[in-house]
Amino acid sequence: MKLIIEHLKKNFGSKEVLKDIDFEFEEGKIYGLLGRNGAGKTTFFNCLNEDIEVDDGTFYLEEKTTRPIVSEDIGYVLSTPNVPEFLTGREFLKFFIDINASRIEQPKSLDEYFDFMKIDVEDRDKLLKDYSHGMKNKMQMLVHIIANPKILLLDEPLTSFDVVVAEEMKQMLKGLKKGHIIIFSTHIMELALDLCDEIVILNKGVLEKIEKKNLDNEHFKNRIIEALKEE
Amino acid sequence: MVRTFFLSFRLKNTYRVNSIIYSIKQLPLIKKILPDTLYQNHGLKIFGNVISALIEVGTTFIGKLLYLWLMIYSFISMYPTNSSETFLHLFFFLTLCGGLLNTYLFNPTRDKYYAMFLMNMDAREYTLSNYYYAMLKVFIGFLPFTILFGILTHIPIWLSILLPLFVVMVKTMINYFSLIDFKKTRKAKNENVPFKIVWILIVIFLALAYLVPFTKIVMPIWLFVVLFMISLGLGSYCFFKIHRFTEYRMMYKQLFANSGMEKKTAEQINKETALKQIELDRDLTSSKDGFPYFHELFVKRHRKILTIAVKKQALVLLLLSVAIFIGVLVNKDIKSTTNGILLMWLPYFVFIMYMLNRGTTITQAMFMNCDHAMLTYRIYRNPNVILGLFRERLKTLISINLLPATIIGASLAFLLFLTGGTTNALNYVVLFVSIIAMSIFFSVHYLVMYYLLQPYNVNTEMKSSTYSIVQGVTYFACYYMMQLKLPTFYFGLVITLFCVAYSLLSLWIAYRMAPKTFKLRN
Repeated sequence: MKLIIEHLKKNFGSKEVLKDIDFEFEEGKIYGLLGRNGAGKTTFFNCLNEDIEVDDGTFYLEEKTTRPIVSEDIGYVLSTPNVPEFLTGREFLKFFIDINASRIEQPKSLDEYFDFMKIDVEDRDKLLKDYSHGMKNKMQMLVHIIANPKILLLDEPLTSFDVVVAEEMKQMLKGLKKGHIIIFSTHIMELALDLCDEIVILNKGVLEKIEKKNLDNEHFKNRIIEALKEE
Repeated sequence: MVRTFFLSFRLKNTYRVNSIIYSIKQLPLIKKILPDTLYQNHGLKIFGNVISALIEVGTTFIGKLLYLWLMIYSFISMYPTNSSETFLHLFFFLTLCGGLLNTYLFNPTRDKYYAMFLMNMDAREYTLSNYYYAMLKVFIGFLPFTILFGILTHIPIWLSILLPLFVVMVKTMINYFSLIDFKKTRKAKNENVPFKIVWILIVIFLALAYLVPFTKIVMPIWLFVVLFMISLGLGSYCFFKIHRFTEYRMMYKQLFANSGMEKKTAEQINKETALKQIELDRDLTSSKDGFPYFHELFVKRHRKILTIAVKKQALVLLLLSVAIFIGVLVNKDIKSTTNGILLMWLPYFVFIMYMLNRGTTITQAMFMNCDHAMLTYRIYRNPNVILGLFRERLKTLISINLLPATIIGASLAFLLFLTGGTTNALNYVVLFVSIIAMSIFFSVHYLVMYYLLQPYNVNTEMKSSTYSIVQGVTYFACYYMMQLKLPTFYFGLVITLFCVAYSLLSLWIAYRMAPKTFKLRN
C-alpha cells in the first residue's frame, strides 16, 4: 500500500503554502515530517484529511489498484486533544467502537483497551472534561488506533506527554507501523531520528526526503538543519 | 502625562481601526475582493479613523441624549409636580446611580489592559490622563442636552450649564471613596460586578427618583443648588486626592486578575461556561448504541440548559396564564381588552416565541461541548452521520420547544373563550396552530442556520459574519412584528403557512448542503 500525492497545491490569499507536493509514502514506515514554524505541516495534514480544499493536485491510495481515500482510511491525531467532553472515557470508547464496529477485526473489551493505553481504573468513568491534557491526548490516540485507519497522521502528538508516557507511546507506535502509513510531524529532531524510519522535510512548500545513507547521526542532523535553512 | 495620554489615545485608536478593518474583512462577498495586505492600506486606515472618530463622538453624545430623554424627560409628565424641579430631582438621584455603576476608574477594559500591562505604560499617568479625558467627555457630552432639556423644562440656563459638572463631581467623589476602600481593604472592586451594598443603594436611589414624585414631593431647586455647591467643594478635594494616588498599577492588576481578562480570551470564557453546563449523574445513561447513544447522552448531560430550563419556562408560563385567567374572570375591563388583544396582537407573539426559543444557547452548547471536538474526526463528517445526527437533534429541539409553545397556544385559545369568544370559531384553531408553527419554525431555523453556516473555528472563535447578520435580521424581523396589529385570523394563517413553507424549504436545503457546510471553519 502506498499513499501517493501528486502536485498538491494550497494557497492562502497570495501566499503559496504548499507549492508542489509530490511524494509517495509507503506502508510499514513511520515518516518524520520536519519543517520550520509556519512551513505548512498542519496545512499539509489538513489537506490530506480534507479539512480544507486543495487548490490543485491529487492524492490517492495504491493497493492492488489505485482508489481515492475515504474517510475511514485516515486517522488524524491533533496536537490539541479533541474529545467530546460531555462523555466519560468509557462512554466515548463505547461510542467509537459502536460506530466503527465493521472495521474492528478482533474487538476487545473496553477495559482491555484502557489497560492497553494505561488509563487508570478510577479515571475510566470520569467525564472527559475533567481529564488532564495528557489523558485526553491518550484517549484521542486510543480511539484512532482502535479505528485502525490505514494512514495515521500525528501532529506533534508526544509533546504533551510526560517522559514515561511518551516512551510508552513511542513503543506503541513502533508496534503499530506494520500495515500502516504513519506520518508524524514534530519540532523535536531527536524524537524524529529516534522514532522515524524516514525523515521528510517540508520547506518552501515542497516535500523532500533526506537520505541517511551512510551518514552518522551527527552528520545526518547537520544535513537536516542545512536543508531546513535553505531559502 | 500629556505624552502618555496621546500615546494611549493612539494605541486605542489603532486597536479600534484594526477592529473596524477586521470586521469589514469578515463581511460576505467583500472579503473575497479584499487582499490580505488590507491593514497596510492607507485609504482604508483613513476610513477606519473616520469611523473611529464617529464612534468617539457618538459615544460622547448619543448615550447622554438618550439617557436624559428616555430616563428623565419622558417621565416628567407622569408626575403631578413642577417640571423643572422634577427634572432636577430625577437627575440628582440617577446621577448617584450612574456614579456608582459607571465610575471609569473601576472598569477593567481591554484598552486599559493593553496599555498598562502589554505595553507597560506608566499606570498612574495613563489612568489619570485618561480619567481627565473621560470626565471632559462626560462634561462636553452632557452640556448640549442639559441645556436643551433645561430649556424644555424651564430650568434657569446657568443651572443647566452647571448640571454636567455635577455628574463629574459625583463620579469623582465615588471614585475617591472607592480608592479609600481599596487602600483599606486592599481589594479593588470591579464596577461591573457590583457588591450587595451598591445594589441596595441603587434600589434606594431609584425609588427616591421615580416613586417619591408621585407623593408630590420633589427636591426644591434651592436644595439642589446647595447640594451642588457641596459636591463642587468635595469633588474638587477628591480630584486632588485622586491625582495624588499612586497605586493604580496594583489596583488594576487586581481588577484584571478578577475580571479574567489577564489570561483568558472571550472564547475561553465561552468555552468554560459551556463546560459548566455539563453534569454527570450516575443515572444519566443510555441503552442505545452508536449515534443515538451519543445524542441521548448529550441531551441528558445538558438537561440543565435543555429539558430542565424548558420545564421551568413552561411552569412560569403556566402560572402566568392562570394569573391572567383569574384577572380576566375578576375584572371586566381586562376581559374586554384581552379579547381585543387576542384578535389583533398575534404578531406580538412572534417576538415572544423568538425570545422563548432556546435555539441559540443549545446550538452553541452543541458546538462547544460536542461538535468542536468531534468535527476533527473524519468519521463524524460522513454525510450519513451528519444527517443522522441532524435528524436526532431536530427532533429534540422541536419537542423541547413544543412544551412551552403548547402551553402558550392552548392558553391563548382558552383565553379567547374566557373573554367572550369570537364570531369565527376558526380563530381558536388559528391561535393554537400558529403558535405551534412559530415554535417549530424557530427550532428549525436555528438548527438549519447552525448546520449551513457553522460559524465557529477550531479555537471556538465566531468566524462567520453571515451568521451574525442572519441572527441580527431574525431579531429585527421579530422585533418589527411587535409593531404590527393585524387580525389574528389572517395573520395566523399567513404566518403558519410561512413557517411550514420555510421549514420545509430550509430542511430540504439543509439535507442537500449540510454534509458540505457543516465543518470547522479555518
